[in-house]
Amino acid sequence: MKNYEVVVIGGGPGGYVAAEEAAKLCGSVALIENKYLGGTCLNSGCIPSKTLLRHSEVIELMEKAKNWGIEFGSVSISFEKMISRKTTVVENLRNGVASLLRNARVDVYNGTAIVESNHQINIELKYGSETITADKIIIATGSKPFVPSINGIENVGYHTSDSIFELASLPQSLVIVGGGIIGVEFACIFSALNVEVTIIEMADRLISAEDGEAADLISKKLAKDKVNILTSAKVQELSQNENGKMVRLETKNGEHISIQADELLLASGRTPNLSVISKLNLKKNGPFIAVNKQMETSIPHIYAVGDVIGGWQLAHVASAEGIVAAWNACNLFKEINYKVVPRCIYSSPEIASVGLTEKEAKEKGKSVRTEMFHFRASGKAMAMDESTGFIKLIADETYNEILGVTMVGPHVTEMISEASTLILLEGTVNELEAIIHPHPTLSEGIGEAARAWLHKKKVHAMS
Amino acid sequence: MAEELLMPKLGATMEKGTIIGWLKNEGDQVETGEPILEIMTDKINMEVEATSSGILLKKLYDQEEEVPVLVPIAYIGHAGETYGSQPNKDIEKLLPETKNGQEQEASDEPKIPQTSLVHSKPRRTPAALRLANKHEVDLTMVKGSGPNNRIHLMDVEQFINQNAKKMTPLAKKIAEDNDVDTGNLQTASANAKIGKVDVLRELPTKRSRSVNYNGIRKVVGERMSKSASVAPHVTLHTEADMTKAIEVRNLLLEKIKSKTGLRLSFTEIIVKSTAYALKAHPMVNASLNGNQIDIHTDINIGLAVAVPNGLVVPVIRNADEKGLAALTEESKKLAKNARENKLNSDDMSGGTFTISNLGMYAVDSFTPIINQPESAILGVGRIKEQVVSNNGSIEVRPQMSLSLSFDHRVIDGAPAAHFLTDLKEILENPYELMV
Repeated sequence: MKNYEVVVIGGGPGGYVAAEEAAKLCGSVALIENKYLGGTCLNSGCIPSKTLLRHSEVIELMEKAKNWGIEFGSVSISFEKMISRKTTVVENLRNGVASLLRNARVDVYNGTAIVESNHQINIELKYGSETITADKIIIATGSKPFVPSINGIENVGYHTSDSIFELASLPQSLVIVGGGIIGVEFACIFSALNVEVTIIEMADRLISAEDGEAADLISKKLAKDKVNILTSAKVQELSQNENGKMVRLETKNGEHISIQADELLLASGRTPNLSVISKLNLKKNGPFIAVNKQMETSIPHIYAVGDVIGGWQLAHVASAEGIVAAWNACNLFKEINYKVVPRCIYSSPEIASVGLTEKEAKEKGKSVRTEMFHFRASGKAMAMDESTGFIKLIADETYNEILGVTMVGPHVTEMISEASTLILLEGTVNELEAIIHPHPTLSEGIGEAARAWLHKKKVHAMS
Repeated sequence: MAEELLMPKLGATMEKGTIIGWLKNEGDQVETGEPILEIMTDKINMEVEATSSGILLKKLYDQEEEVPVLVPIAYIGHAGETYGSQPNKDIEKLLPETKNGQEQEASDEPKIPQTSLVHSKPRRTPAALRLANKHEVDLTMVKGSGPNNRIHLMDVEQFINQNAKKMTPLAKKIAEDNDVDTGNLQTASANAKIGKVDVLRELPTKRSRSVNYNGIRKVVGERMSKSASVAPHVTLHTEADMTKAIEVRNLLLEKIKSKTGLRLSFTEIIVKSTAYALKAHPMVNASLNGNQIDIHTDINIGLAVAVPNGLVVPVIRNADEKGLAALTEESKKLAKNARENKLNSDDMSGGTFTISNLGMYAVDSFTPIINQPESAILGVGRIKEQVVSNNGSIEVRPQMSLSLSFDHRVIDGAPAAHFLTDLKEILENPYELMV
């Protein structure tokens, strides 16, 4: 029976990063993956969705270019080619992860693991099975789309984010159940491809965890793109007929209506993959595995990272947790710090935020003041014809501490790291203002927001 | 020939400086960088340092004299060395423009004099400056221990030792705002910067949250402090045996509930009893009004009710004329309205006596503050089983404390005691109410 110092179960961004780090820090490491390396992020999440979003972006841009005096002939879309490009991107990256693990001398097992006892793991391989032992185990099994128990769901073919990328052809109409990040991103992808999209959301607005003004802006943009948005709505029954799927729901006003669509996408959250640890008696935090700041579970030599422990459920957070778990598994102390976690939504326009939202900051009872910079005042944004959006700086009056930044607009997912840097290094609004931002750029708006924030503080102090 | 010491040009607009005083005397040995004299411009005071080492041979100007910039003010050299002429008093000729040529030849780039330099030059010794420059210490951050807060070498050394660790901008700001001695700060890892948490740990008082002192909070606060300061308070304490009052309540509970839908509570029994006792003691049901004491014929009893962030006192009018069912209905309605912030000003005016009942809490007794302009208030504690002696035998009885605070300007001790004694007796024998 082979023994490893560290065995990582799950090859997603939490698992493979943990395995590589552990291999660097201590000795023998194995990684067990039951499907594809790269996990949800690479195979059915971030990467495929961003690849498809790129197509939507180009289509949108071409549409816009007509107003600039750039005319094309008729545009034809090959969904098949788009999907095949997505597959190429995914495969390339998957190979990248494989070679990264190979270089780090991590043994990769392709099979389904189950932790038999505290140190023993059984792997169900394609042919036969194998048992290995481990000093330390890192659980990074991730999550899968949550399928809500709606009446009639068993009789209806539906997609989740796992299967929607395998669509053979573009549907004419699509109903998305769930208006969170995943739902909104898919609405953007498909509406740009001229699919009639309906979003059904239970809460009173889309992407309810993020900034309200950001969500409003996205809702307006989607509505402009003819996406049908139903908030405060409850799906009651699903059925299949010769024309496709029928969704019966109760609207905000208590009316009962039915919507007919070719395809149905369920995007109502994710649920942890726990079969690997079914034989262990690990403490839970709701449906998720409970861990401490060192990523230790209730069994000290077993660690858990990523979606399986809940929290942010973001790839980059899983990786950060993976590093922390690897350090502790190799007997080096490290604690996770969630203070600076950027969140990106790849809608059109994009939303990016870091630190506290305005609502959270105010709930914490800090002396919070916000300042907005609107891209309609940005030369670069106007030149790009992308002047929808804003930068919101959320800072504490006491020490000018930057509590958070929320941005909506073009390329904001690339711009958020400036704010992250400042917050991590404990720069204040004064430092943010002192940075010379290049002109003309979108990012100079961050400096403008800081300057306006400070100016109002001074005006306040004088009056 | 001896070196000239010039009146420095400290800013683009500086044309002359005034000598405040000399720090060295003629004949003193001076070192490069050592302060020689103090000058004053229209903006600041500062020290002028020796530009070379030697003997201060000659001071060209006295205290209070005004000298144009870049004009010699002293000579430094070897003993016996010759030096230039006496002060040139022809100020106009020597205005700064005439001296600029030399500077510009040195470099192609036009030199713009720094204007803000002066602010970052606190008094310091040359040695202190040398060390500070070597270690990139900002001297404005260093506290000087010398005369006029002059910074000595020792001060810089100490500063460097204490500030070996770097701080984040936020940590620095918090430390400055709170006067935290940064020298003692520790950070988790040996070579990491000192961050916000490291400074916050040092703050003397733990973090607190502020809320505004306004609205109802302020009204309550002001009325309380006024009453406490204007009325000489005396508080009498006694305990009532509630055995029979409990019997009465149990007896009437269902009857009143079927009639009103509400549960009779001890509050109503206490109100009824108090109203009854007040009838016999009108002086306790009185208000001091300027030069006269108003003795009220109506008995209007206020009930203190806690509301979010404050306290209100709705009033039950003519409490002596009402039965327990009516009192229950009224007091419950007033309390509900109070908590829902629906009381109108009529509901809260006209009170002649107040009851504050904390019996629902683990409070045995307390000293209430009188609700002005009334002259007495009754504080009621919880009913608690206590061992009491009764004619030589020991019994367990449900006892309730009664505390009467009265305004000694209006009521004296004996009549107040009389009232409280009567009230105790009524509560112990509630059937008397029917008499």
